[in-house]
Amino acid sequence: MQRAPRVLSLLALAVLTFLTLPSLAQGQTASEESLAITVNQSNPVENLSSAELRKIFLGEKSHWTNGRRITLVMMDPGPERKTVLRDIYRMNENDLNNHFIHGLFTGEVFVSPKTLATPVEVRKFIFNVPGAIGYVRAGDVDASVKVVRIDGRLPDDKEYKLRVQRSGK
Amino acid sequence: MKLQKFLTVQILLAPELKMIAARSVSLLLAILVSAAGLFAQQAGNPTNAEKQTIQMLMERIDRLEARVAQLEGAKRPTASEAPAQASSPPESMPSTVEPERMDLSKTLLHIRGFGDVTYHGDTRKGDTTSFSLGQLNLFVTSDVSEKFKFLSEIVFEAGTDNAVGVDVERLLLQYAPNDYFNLSAGRYHTAIGYYNTAYHHSTWLQTATGRPFLFEFEDKGGILPIHNVGVSASGLIPSGSLGLHYVAEAGNGRASSSSRAEAVQNLVDENNLKAFNLALFARPEKIRGLQVGFSGYRDVLTPLNQARIGETIFDAYGVIVRPNFEWLNEALVIRHAPQGASRIFHTPGFYSQISKRFGSYRPYFRYQYVNAPDNDPIFGPVYNTPIGLRHGPSAGLRYDASESVAVKLQYDYTLVRHQQAINGLALQLGFTF
Repeated sequence: MQRAPRVLSLLALAVLTFLTLPSLAQGQTASEESLAITVNQSNPVENLSSAELRKIFLGEKSHWTNGRRITLVMMDPGPERKTVLRDIYRMNENDLNNHFIHGLFTGEVFVSPKTLATPVEVRKFIFNVPGAIGYVRAGDVDASVKVVRIDGRLPDDKEYKLRVQRSGK
Repeated sequence: MKLQKFLTVQILLAPELKMIAARSVSLLLAILVSAAGLFAQQAGNPTNAEKQTIQMLMERIDRLEARVAQLEGAKRPTASEAPAQASSPPESMPSTVEPERMDLSKTLLHIRGFGDVTYHGDTRKGDTTSFSLGQLNLFVTSDVSEKFKFLSEIVFEAGTDNAVGVDVERLLLQYAPNDYFNLSAGRYHTAIGYYNTAYHHSTWLQTATGRPFLFEFEDKGGILPIHNVGVSASGLIPSGSLGLHYVAEAGNGRASSSSRAEAVQNLVDENNLKAFNLALFARPEKIRGLQVGFSGYRDVLTPLNQARIGETIFDAYGVIVRPNFEWLNEALVIRHAPQGASRIFHTPGFYSQISKRFGSYRPYFRYQYVNAPDNDPIFGPVYNTPIGLRHGPSAGLRYDASESVAVKLQYDYTLVRHQQAINGLALQLGFTF
């Protein structure tokens, strides 16, 4: 009789491992989740290349194909911003500040990014601003915003590159 | 009556508001019960203290009512508000986007400041070591609307007479309907080559303590038409990963009628001839930070009591600018061709600057060269800047004390035709705020 709980525990562990394996096989470690690039639902863009995404985030591309001005929304310093700095900008926080100061000064960057604190605020902003683009964890995406493919891949895809450290919720 | 009204309001509240209000009401009831006990003891003869207590309680009810109304108002979603919870997506998206409106309740201005203070000295005859206020630059921008933007640089600066003056160094209204065509009107930095468009009136943004003398400002003895008043069109040329851009400008050009004339023709052009400039450059995606380009500038100068002089400036450059590494190379030639004369005057010049960042430190080196003919008909007689041959190295160290403050130490060795070589040392504190 005493063996039953142990067997049940082992069984539960096996099931858990089985359920976890597919996500690990997709290149996403248990401690990571995808960072979704989101735009306003009215934006016709479906896919962006990594190079285009970088240009947009650097302010080098300032308009969407539909003529709307691009408004970039960033999040306050945290794991999501760290991913964006590392994988999109490839620079640190100071260099990013200098880039935007310099870009605004030369007139090449039309507007500096807006910074918000929470995913809810980011979603609200993107919902309300037709030209907005931002990022939230894949788990924070809802129907109010549209997720853009990056190099043809969605956050659930195994080759998707933007990964963020899973928060300890 | 007040209490009844309060309880009625309570019933209409959202659950969380009800909780807040319920706590308040419980507290109030407890206070009222205590008060009622006191009333029973002293019925029919209310004292001043009791009156004050009742008054206090009534005021408190008023405050709570106001607070409840405020919370209810905040809770009610507005038409433009997105759903707050991930689980409640919007029922419908706006089918059309309303035209952008100016919010009159807030300012549209963004202001950033730049400044510097320098201590410098050199071996030039007559020069003294001095602390110098650099340019105090108020960089003002405004998002006028989705497609229009305003940009200006207002600079406070001391002259050689120590008097501080104000200059509007840049003033532009930009119209940007897409990435391929941006139109600006106002006073701008002429897109001659690289340095003049990449660096404006801020030493903090520049690696070295100052601009290369080829690109020195007009009022500091510069020989180029650094500023211009007119219109400028710029944008991307569809070219894929090559990243081609163009800039086309038409403006008043630099004044040339007299050595006393203000160099930048802000209000009145001394002739009907306009200066034109065309620049092309590429930023290939394959090499991060690389920019190569060239420009051609053309104007006709009309000095007093002289024949007209055609001025043509060709510039070519190749630069790599990355956060940790910078290598700038730029060469130009200024051609002055007096009409009816057989002689043409050429002034070649170049600079090369390299720097690499090590943490907060960035050592840098620059070599620069310019060689203007002694008898050039413009630089000496009109601009009053007989620049001649001038070349030499500069070496320095920039230390970023914080993300907004830089300390630079620079040594210059400059050879000048017909003069002794000049040794100079400068310590500069540059900052943004």
